[in-house]
Amino acid sequence: MNQKFENDEEMLTRGLQALASEMKDLEAPEHVEIKLLEAFRARKVVVPISTRRWTSRPYWLAAVAAVLLIAMSVVALRWRSAEKPAESFAGRREPETPKVNQPREETPQLVEYQAVIQPPLRYNPKRNRHPRSRSSENAQVASLRPSEIATDFIPLRYMNVANLQEGGQIVRVEVPRSALANFGLPVNMDRYNERVKADVLYGVDGLAHAIRFVK
Amino acid sequence: MKSDLNDSELLRSMLAGDEEALTVLYRRRQGAVYRFALQMSGSKTVAEDVTQEVFLFLMRDGHVFDPAKGSVSAFLLGVARNYVLRRMRVEQQLMPLGDDVDDDVPVLHASNDLCPLEDLTRAETIESVRRAVLSLPSKYREVVVLCELQDISYGETAEILGCAIGTVRSRLHRARALLLAKLRPAAEAEDADSATVKSARCFA
Repeated sequence: MNQKFENDEEMLTRGLQALASEMKDLEAPEHVEIKLLEAFRARKVVVPISTRRWTSRPYWLAAVAAVLLIAMSVVALRWRSAEKPAESFAGRREPETPKVNQPREETPQLVEYQAVIQPPLRYNPKRNRHPRSRSSENAQVASLRPSEIATDFIPLRYMNVANLQEGGQIVRVEVPRSALANFGLPVNMDRYNERVKADVLYGVDGLAHAIRFVK
Repeated sequence: MKSDLNDSELLRSMLAGDEEALTVLYRRRQGAVYRFALQMSGSKTVAEDVTQEVFLFLMRDGHVFDPAKGSVSAFLLGVARNYVLRRMRVEQQLMPLGDDVDDDVPVLHASNDLCPLEDLTRAETIESVRRAVLSLPSKYREVVVLCELQDISYGETAEILGCAIGTVRSRLHRARALLLAKLRPAAEAEDADSATVKSARCFA
């Protein structure tokens, strides 16, 4: 029995070896290689281009989209912040303002308040009563629009000088003429319903700290 | 010379766009892939298609090859195995069972060293073994093809099949038992025929 099993195993091994030796020289036909090489050449020409297109297109699109988004945001922001003053000054061409530190020609109503012009903002009641006795820095601010006459900045009640140490912004607005009375200034009752221009000083905290009226 | 490079280096060059590297690698490895596909499917058409698919895959996704996991030849045979099994699943008619063997089987060449009768016997034996191998379930067939016909080590076969060496051994053991069971009736019938001839001669 065991002998027969060994014979069968041996026969099977011989049969498998014979089959293996019969097939050992078999190879794929030549046309397979030709097709492969053709595919390789075609791929060499086409695939890198398509790969580059597929891999880099999203990055380019994303970059372009991001730039467009940023540009649109900036334009919208500036347009929004400049819209009201621009409308109030419609029809009036303001003269060029002298450069203080970083002039912004596109938004003449919005003036950067830099550290250079901080000293005049320190509230001094005497100086407020005598606008002509400004320091030279204050004069720079006052001369932003030489044709205009302005009061000195009048501090609002919650003014905190510490919030102005890092600068701020002056925003040109129009307020009802009656607002002059709130600050103890004379009001021409004949022109009571008219509006008057004013510069509001905003600190970095976003709050209005002082106001001046402009004629 | 590209032919001096090993398979991994050739693969790298090929992926970098070197056509000569592809040619050398293909000529070096296509035989094993083709024979494996042929022995698994019993069809020359499938074997050609699979060989082509395997090298197309290599061109397209050759970067997935990891030298730490095995050789390029094992990688190619693993890919070939997947393609063969897929073809066999899709086209059930390509999996000949029992006597229903595909017609386009390779022609077995007779050896010049043997006499015609021995040659015929040998050809019959080879044919019966081939049919028996093709009739095995695929998981047994692939270990027989790889270990017995392609003479690949158990370890490399395990890499190709993605299983443990012990699994390869046990499957091979089971496959041989199945082959013997398939081949024994034919051998016994042959013995019976020869016994009949002998007894006839005795009575004559």
